[in-house]
Amino acid sequence: MRADNPSSQAAFAEAAAYLERQPLVSNHRPLSWITQHVCQIVEERAPKWWWILTIVFGGTATLVPAMLTYLVSTGVGVWGLNVPVCWAWDITNFVFWIGIGHAGTLISAILFLTRQKWRTSINRSAEAMTIFAVICAGIFPAFHVGRVWMAWFLAPIPNANAIWQNFRSPLLWDVFAVSTYFTVSLIFWYLGLIPDLASLRDRATTRLRQMVYGLLALGWRGSNRHWTHYEKTYLILAGISTPLVLSVHSVVSFDFATSIVPGWHTTIFPPYFVAGAIFGGFAMVLTLLIPFREIYNLHDLVTDKHIDNMCKIILLTGSLVGYAYSMEFFIAWYSGNPFEIYAFTNRAFGPYWWAYWAMITCNVAAPQLFWFKYCRQNPWVVLAIVMFPNTGMWFERFVIIVTSIHRDFLPSSWGYFSPTWVDITLFIGTIGLFVFLFLLFVRFLPIINMFEVKGITPQADPHADESKGAHDRSHNTHSLRTSQAHA
Amino acid sequence: MKRTLHHPSSSQGRTYWRSLGEYAQTPDFEEWLHREFPAGAAEWENDPLSRRNFIRLMGASIALAGLSLSGCRRPEAHLVPFTQSPEWVVPGKKMSFATAQPRRRSAVPLLATTFDGRPIKMEGNPLHPLSQGASDNLAQASILDLYDPARRQHLTRGGKKASAADWDAEINRIRAESNSASGSSLAILADEQLSPTRDRLRAELQRQFPQSTWATYEPLAPGRDLEASALVFGDNTEFRPNLSAATTILAVDCDFLGSDEGDLSDTRGFSSGRRTRQPSDSTNRLYVVEPRFSLTGTMADHRLRLRPSAIGAFLLELARQIRAAKPSAELNTLLSQAPDLALPEGVDPAWIRECAADLVSHGNRSLLLVGRRLPTSLQALALALNSALGSVGTTLLVQPRRTPTSATLAQLAEKIRSGSIQTLIILGGDPVYNAPADMNWAALQSSVPNTLHLSSLPNATSKQSTWSIPGTHYLESWGDALAIDGSYLSIQPMIQPLWAGLSQLEVLSRILGQPNPIGPSLIRETFAQRTGLAGEKLEQSWNDFVREGFLASPTATPTSRAANLNTVAGLLSRVETSPAEDPASLEAIFSHSAAVDDGRYANNGWMQEWPDPMTKLTWDNAILLSQETARSLGLKNDIIKGILVADVVQATLAGRTIEAPVVIAPGHANFSATLPVGYGQELSGPVAKGAGFDAYRLRTSTSDYHTLGLQLKRTGRTQELAVTQEHQVMEGRDLVREASVSEFKENPAWVKTVGMDAHIPPNQTFYPNPKLDGQHQWAMVVDLSTCTGCNACVTACTAENNIPIVGKDQVMKGREMHWIRVDRYYTGEPDAPESVSQPIACMQCENAPCETVCPVNATVHNEEGLNVMAYNRCIGTRYCANNCPYKVRRFNFFDYNQRALDKLYWGPLAPKGTEETIKLQKNPNVTVRMRGVMEKCTFCVQRIEDAKISARVRARDSADLKIPTGTLKTACQQACPAEAIVFGDLLDESSEVKKLRDLPQNYSLLEYLNVRPRLTYLGRIRNPNPAMPGARTHYAPSHGHTENHSADKSTATSHATPTQTKQGSHE
Repeated sequence: MRADNPSSQAAFAEAAAYLERQPLVSNHRPLSWITQHVCQIVEERAPKWWWILTIVFGGTATLVPAMLTYLVSTGVGVWGLNVPVCWAWDITNFVFWIGIGHAGTLISAILFLTRQKWRTSINRSAEAMTIFAVICAGIFPAFHVGRVWMAWFLAPIPNANAIWQNFRSPLLWDVFAVSTYFTVSLIFWYLGLIPDLASLRDRATTRLRQMVYGLLALGWRGSNRHWTHYEKTYLILAGISTPLVLSVHSVVSFDFATSIVPGWHTTIFPPYFVAGAIFGGFAMVLTLLIPFREIYNLHDLVTDKHIDNMCKIILLTGSLVGYAYSMEFFIAWYSGNPFEIYAFTNRAFGPYWWAYWAMITCNVAAPQLFWFKYCRQNPWVVLAIVMFPNTGMWFERFVIIVTSIHRDFLPSSWGYFSPTWVDITLFIGTIGLFVFLFLLFVRFLPIINMFEVKGITPQADPHADESKGAHDRSHNTHSLRTSQAHA
Repeated sequence: MKRTLHHPSSSQGRTYWRSLGEYAQTPDFEEWLHREFPAGAAEWENDPLSRRNFIRLMGASIALAGLSLSGCRRPEAHLVPFTQSPEWVVPGKKMSFATAQPRRRSAVPLLATTFDGRPIKMEGNPLHPLSQGASDNLAQASILDLYDPARRQHLTRGGKKASAADWDAEINRIRAESNSASGSSLAILADEQLSPTRDRLRAELQRQFPQSTWATYEPLAPGRDLEASALVFGDNTEFRPNLSAATTILAVDCDFLGSDEGDLSDTRGFSSGRRTRQPSDSTNRLYVVEPRFSLTGTMADHRLRLRPSAIGAFLLELARQIRAAKPSAELNTLLSQAPDLALPEGVDPAWIRECAADLVSHGNRSLLLVGRRLPTSLQALALALNSALGSVGTTLLVQPRRTPTSATLAQLAEKIRSGSIQTLIILGGDPVYNAPADMNWAALQSSVPNTLHLSSLPNATSKQSTWSIPGTHYLESWGDALAIDGSYLSIQPMIQPLWAGLSQLEVLSRILGQPNPIGPSLIRETFAQRTGLAGEKLEQSWNDFVREGFLASPTATPTSRAANLNTVAGLLSRVETSPAEDPASLEAIFSHSAAVDDGRYANNGWMQEWPDPMTKLTWDNAILLSQETARSLGLKNDIIKGILVADVVQATLAGRTIEAPVVIAPGHANFSATLPVGYGQELSGPVAKGAGFDAYRLRTSTSDYHTLGLQLKRTGRTQELAVTQEHQVMEGRDLVREASVSEFKENPAWVKTVGMDAHIPPNQTFYPNPKLDGQHQWAMVVDLSTCTGCNACVTACTAENNIPIVGKDQVMKGREMHWIRVDRYYTGEPDAPESVSQPIACMQCENAPCETVCPVNATVHNEEGLNVMAYNRCIGTRYCANNCPYKVRRFNFFDYNQRALDKLYWGPLAPKGTEETIKLQKNPNVTVRMRGVMEKCTFCVQRIEDAKISARVRARDSADLKIPTGTLKTACQQACPAEAIVFGDLLDESSEVKKLRDLPQNYSLLEYLNVRPRLTYLGRIRNPNPAMPGARTHYAPSHGHTENHSADKSTATSHATPTQTKQGSHE
């Protein structure tokens, strides 16, 4: 077909229009609009709904210290644990929350290194989510021990007992992995906040705001030197964080994989846990982002394209997780080991069948809807669907932990676990704490990474109008940013 | 232990506790005493009964039991501190003293282990042939009764505290009243005890008050066996089985391994014939006919479910079959008047025929045992059949009756009704609670103007009595008893009575007008009379008697006794046909409870939490029904969330009604229901309160064991029951491995072809294992052929290791703390299952999965192969318990030692602390664990260390620090009457454990995990009779393997001795 044919030219134009990448900031919003729009969330008077939600979730969060006080003063027996089920909701909740954190680090580190520009408008809130999720997660391993006042034995502190830690124990690896992860994530997040904190400082109208944001901005002036140091440090931290995305959940999975319990002792666990964590993490990012996008009318910054991308990741990781589930069954059967075969049969058809099938429905079946573009593009449908992975990933950990140990080798010692009100209330409390912390974040810090978003606006591309080829869009961002920081 | 067991022999001077008694009377000693500690002396005398005083002074004064024995009746002697310590007394070291626990029909020879004057643990008396160091469950648990805080602490009259003067006045009143009527107004109701001294005082009482009444009552020992013995063998005879001589045993509703009196010798004898270590060993064969699955039933090679009412027809048929196999004139005589009854439904005549043939073919090595609560006629028939088989004198021993006959409770009731009894003295027991319901004992007792009740614990009877006298525990008082073999046992006190207790002998001697007995004076008198010794010889003999705990009597040579068959023949005409199967009229069977016996241990927390060996039920009893009967009545059990939810029924028998939960018991006879007695006591202390239902309320004089006409009606309600094992079958796993004798002979290494063991690939070791280079390498082997599953090890471990009880609620949650448990699985046909038991304690894995996962190194391996716990290092992550394949680790979910069990959830709001008396029981060599730490069995590491210290002391400067072979036993091993648990040093070639581990039938549980446990099992050998209908010939499921194809990988799969282990780890 010849190109100069008028009809084919029209078709070509149509196809080109169709194939054209959607801009990551739509409606050609000016840079000042972005600053104004994001900063005003922090600067305006707290809306009524915010107060209501903050009081509700803050109140719920107080259940955490209340339940922990009861737990520590009375004994681990206030939970429903027993022998053989020595871990249940405590470790389930730990793995659940720590898993949620992973999406934030993935978005901020791995997508940064792979130059995925769409990350910019979501990475700030995703990272905040990571920090808060790790805080919630850390509560459980710290307080699930029988003698929390002796938990410092876990730290390699020289002491009079002259007993060192057991470095063969995955639980000790957890201590290091999680604390490293939290520290790096916090630094990474804070570093990325500094230019935007400077913006808030500069826009501040009250003395208090100036003081606080000024202190937090660490004297950021947006000089070229600052930007050079900043970019380098950010890159290095991204490099440090990237292996953490993979390592933390791998280490968490070692708690189970290195044990000898059928259903835990599985070499597939590290990749399977990481995939599951990203899966659950993205679902949580969407769960938080979609409502705030609506409330604050951020459609131009967090576009449908962003949501679409995240849905695709959920679809991918959900399928990976589904593959892992089926591989576990296959290997159990293939091993010929009756204990392994029983462990998995019992998962699907034993007393906890409902948890298993809830997990399959939520994690494998529900995300398949994201094959349909409609499901990815309609934020409310997305919100409804991501509730399934949110629930399913909790069930996944519950299924792995509880169904494996409640019936292991000797049928004489088989048991059953039922949660008590303390188990349930504490978990609700951590949900409250998580949302409460996020509400504080929304209110006091810029939820969108303003300066990075400005770098990816169409007008930030000097060739924006000339070429759709997009061969060199990120070429000139530095100079732009220098001015944006004061915009 | 050997050292402390023996007092210094009298050649070195008099024994300490004797000489102190004498020494104390010297003027200069008394002067010294009062000059040295006047203040303390005054204090003690002012308030001699204060527990606080007692405890404060105990450590320094009575401290070492030797001294406490010296003058139990003379409190002033206890002020003597150890300013001059006897030579062999080492503070903090245990001492053992011989004593005995009196039982209904026998006594258990025991050693009490004492620390600083506190008895803390009971062991069997190793010198006595019955015990040989073993004990049983109830002997182990009895120590807790001593320290029960609910014990009566004061003399009370009409519920109010009475003074010593009141008591003296009451004694005088009783004597005056009895004197005036030559005793016709006086009646004594006693529990059964074989105490020669009590019998002597009783004879004295009879002499002083000829018209007085002496009745005995035991709810579970109606004495029909004695009647039968009198009928068959003549008056004043009794019989006992000699199971060690028996090769073929038929037990008909006779749980000789479980609960019948004299179990120690029965279990020991049976297991000696059962033990099959080499293919050349002979194995005895056990047939069991019984209504409910008993421990004896679990050991049976052939078991038949039968209701007690059908046993008459069964035994008559058996007699005819014995006659058919071995015709004799005496059997013709015996059966001449016997009715021709139809066999009970479902009984295969071939079963009886082959069983009879087997009994006959073993002649005088065979034994027929019939339950002692069955009708006299059937017991007499059984004795006659034994006589016909020729077994009297070999497997069935006849001996002189040990106790005089007494009036029965019914006869006493008659006298009370006639109004002649003015004073009723009840020595022990609880007739208000456990007398037949139709007797209305409570009302009868109230009609007597003066009632006195002596008991250690409060109960329903003491509440109804005018006087309630606190009794002593057997560890607090002097006494004596006759063992089942007639040997004379001494009971010596280990401790001053904790409260103002009186023993039965003291009460009796007061009533006889004698002054308060001083020390063992009453027993000494009996002893002198029995032995006929005097002077120095008596002195010598008495010392031996008390020191060794029994009087060595020449073993009577068993003689065959002619049976009087004519009287039996007459009785047989009354044997009734077995009743029709009618779900509307079930057969009620009133059995004892394995945990609380007839109810006397109901306030014993160890026993309440001790799982019933068959139902695994704790803190409750339940009506037991077969699956089919339950189904026909529409009753069910569900396991809901790990809790046994049982239907509650309304049980009606002869117009009396109770409500009780129903538990479906596999192997129970159809159309019958077992109602275990002993529970439902509301007045016997806080532990007993609320536990179970009271089956005595349905039991009448005519139905003391079994009766027809029980109706069970669904109430629609359910009750949650606490069971320690919810899953009853092995799920096809190779956990308990069984083979028949013929399979064992074919392939002595059959255990290796079972299940996954034949498929284990060679192991590759990644981590270096801990070095096992200690001088000892500890290991344990459990012989599943002889383990009866009696759970005595559980109680022994509880007592030794300060294991707390956690209460019903916590057991339902799966938080029981026992370090050793006995798994019980049902196998075989669902309708007539077999049952196997497997004791599980920490396996002390050489390659322990718990150790690698502990983040703080709180559980580590020692160089002797023990997996040890550092409790104060443990932070309680519980990871070790998750990774333990045997699930033997126990976690302190609450402060079980510090908080009341009903206030565990109150946390700091609950008062903190343990009862002072309970503290006295604790073993000072074992940590009392706090909440939040993991605990488990460590093969009694405290005993190992103690033995090591002793070895070191003995060794002095030599290098031989080895603990001598066989001198060290774990608590579970020591208690086991079947000697099924063997513990020892693998490096000691002469040790039993080394020999057993090298046997081909030795296997590790879950061997494929390569955790290399130090606790291994000898596969269970059964001895089925191939001629029996439905006999299983193949027990070992071998997946079609005829040979062990892992034989070429010996390093990887053998039960590695330590040297092999080291090789394995360096591969």
